[in-house]
Amino acid sequence: MSARRIYFVVSILVLAALPWLIATPYWRGILVLCAMNVLLALSLNLVIGYTGQLNLGQSAFFGIGAYVSTILVKSYGWNFWLAAVAAVGAAGLLGLALAAFAVRLRGHYLAIASLGFAVITYQVLVNWENVTQGVRGIYGITPPFSHPAALFYLVAGIAVLVYVLIDNLVRSPVGDSLRAIREDEVSAASLGINRALWKAFAFCVGAAIAGLAGCFYPGFVGTLVPDAFNIVESFTMMAMVIVGGMGTMIGPVLGAIVLTFLPELLRGFGELRLMIYGIALTLVVLFMPGGMVQAWMALRARLR
Amino acid sequence: MILRAKEISKSFGGVRAVHNVSIAVPENSIFALIGPNGAGKSTLLNLLSGIYQPDAGSLHLEETNLIGLPAHRRVRLGMARTFQKIRLFRQLTLLENVLAGFHIHQDAPFWKYLVYGDTGRFREEARSLLAFVGLEARSGERAGALPYGQQRMLEIARALATRPRLFMLDEPAAGLNAAEVDFLLKRLEQIGRQGVTVLVVEHNMDLVMNVAHRVFVMDHGEPLFEGTPREVQHDPAVIAAYLGGEFAS
Repeated sequence: MSARRIYFVVSILVLAALPWLIATPYWRGILVLCAMNVLLALSLNLVIGYTGQLNLGQSAFFGIGAYVSTILVKSYGWNFWLAAVAAVGAAGLLGLALAAFAVRLRGHYLAIASLGFAVITYQVLVNWENVTQGVRGIYGITPPFSHPAALFYLVAGIAVLVYVLIDNLVRSPVGDSLRAIREDEVSAASLGINRALWKAFAFCVGAAIAGLAGCFYPGFVGTLVPDAFNIVESFTMMAMVIVGGMGTMIGPVLGAIVLTFLPELLRGFGELRLMIYGIALTLVVLFMPGGMVQAWMALRARLR
Repeated sequence: MILRAKEISKSFGGVRAVHNVSIAVPENSIFALIGPNGAGKSTLLNLLSGIYQPDAGSLHLEETNLIGLPAHRRVRLGMARTFQKIRLFRQLTLLENVLAGFHIHQDAPFWKYLVYGDTGRFREEARSLLAFVGLEARSGERAGALPYGQQRMLEIARALATRPRLFMLDEPAAGLNAAEVDFLLKRLEQIGRQGVTVLVVEHNMDLVMNVAHRVFVMDHGEPLFEGTPREVQHDPAVIAAYLGGEFAS
């Protein structure tokens, strides 16, 4: 068995054991949240880490997934799974809409445009009251499975599946093309790579995955308010990707795990919590810009 | 003729970078494009490869009209190029750089890659291209870590991965030492012998005079002279353009 296989099997076993090792309802909830964050970090990493597109609008797609699936279930009586498919499709289409701008913009300009996109989406959620119920929120949302362990297995299972699919994709010729665009767009075009097409592809897939994560969020929390999809969420996702290691597969997963549990573990510090969190983030970016993956590589190289 | 440009022009603001240039590149030849700094050679190459679109004129690869066709579409027609200012994928390995060059020959739909991942297709061919430019031993290193001269050779290997019929090189000898120029020269001849038409923009006269079948001279964005290397060397207008008027006799 290859080392990859062994890592994979061990991870699956750990995931299967987790809800039984961590049995308090609160921490089981955090586990579900963590699996969701892993999905979000994976989705953003495809766009930022592999394709090099500075996208600050990912919270919008998370929100679209949450609202579309919830509204279809609550107001139109759809089956949850059907609603989830529709929500993923809606998020993917919206990703293409953003891509229409993104293919003409680069770097900071794209960052501003995508940030604007997230702000607009947030404002629509707040103000389109007869559909979204605005800041009053939607209440009494039930998850597809009520048992917290079952919900964790579902979301974590989807996260594992998405991880495997993206891992395959980025190691395939498609990954070569996406990285080529990240490294040098003019060069990529000189090799016959249609950069508009592949950027749109990355945006669309990334948005769809974020939308998929969004489907599970409202049922997990029980209520749905626009504030959950504030642009700050985009930055949190970005932090997960950067802290873990942009452009690697395992990095964003680790980043999502650390940045989900860290704020919870710091709860004992009360008001100081966010400050410690902020300082920790700053230190990471300053001293290990390649994130945890790079720090690990450097450590391993030194030990040899 | 594999490539024909008729009276193409390109201006940037008020600067006429290329003005009324007509050029015909014979198939299976090594065709050199020379001229003093600022003569418009690189602009012409950017027009041919589709990075810029001309303001006026016509441009054909054999029977195919190239006007309006973006750069990435021209690659599919068999046109490849390298850059004067090296543009490698610096964070990727040498092998990954060359593999990216096979993009247009990857014909599986993307969902197949979702399931199967890397198929390893073209890996052998990529390695042999690296061997062709003398870099097979470093295939796992990052491209950005290569010495300058080898970066130029890697760019050539990467462009060859598209399997071009017309290969355009923008000053491939710039910054190379004598031994590296010699190696480059041999490789260019070899590429030419494999039935690839080579269009090379170059400052290095040694290289041009040794390898080119025909030479096209530009000055101030306009054509100045065209002929064999020997004819070019003895043309008073060319000598004047390069050395200044008082040397022409």
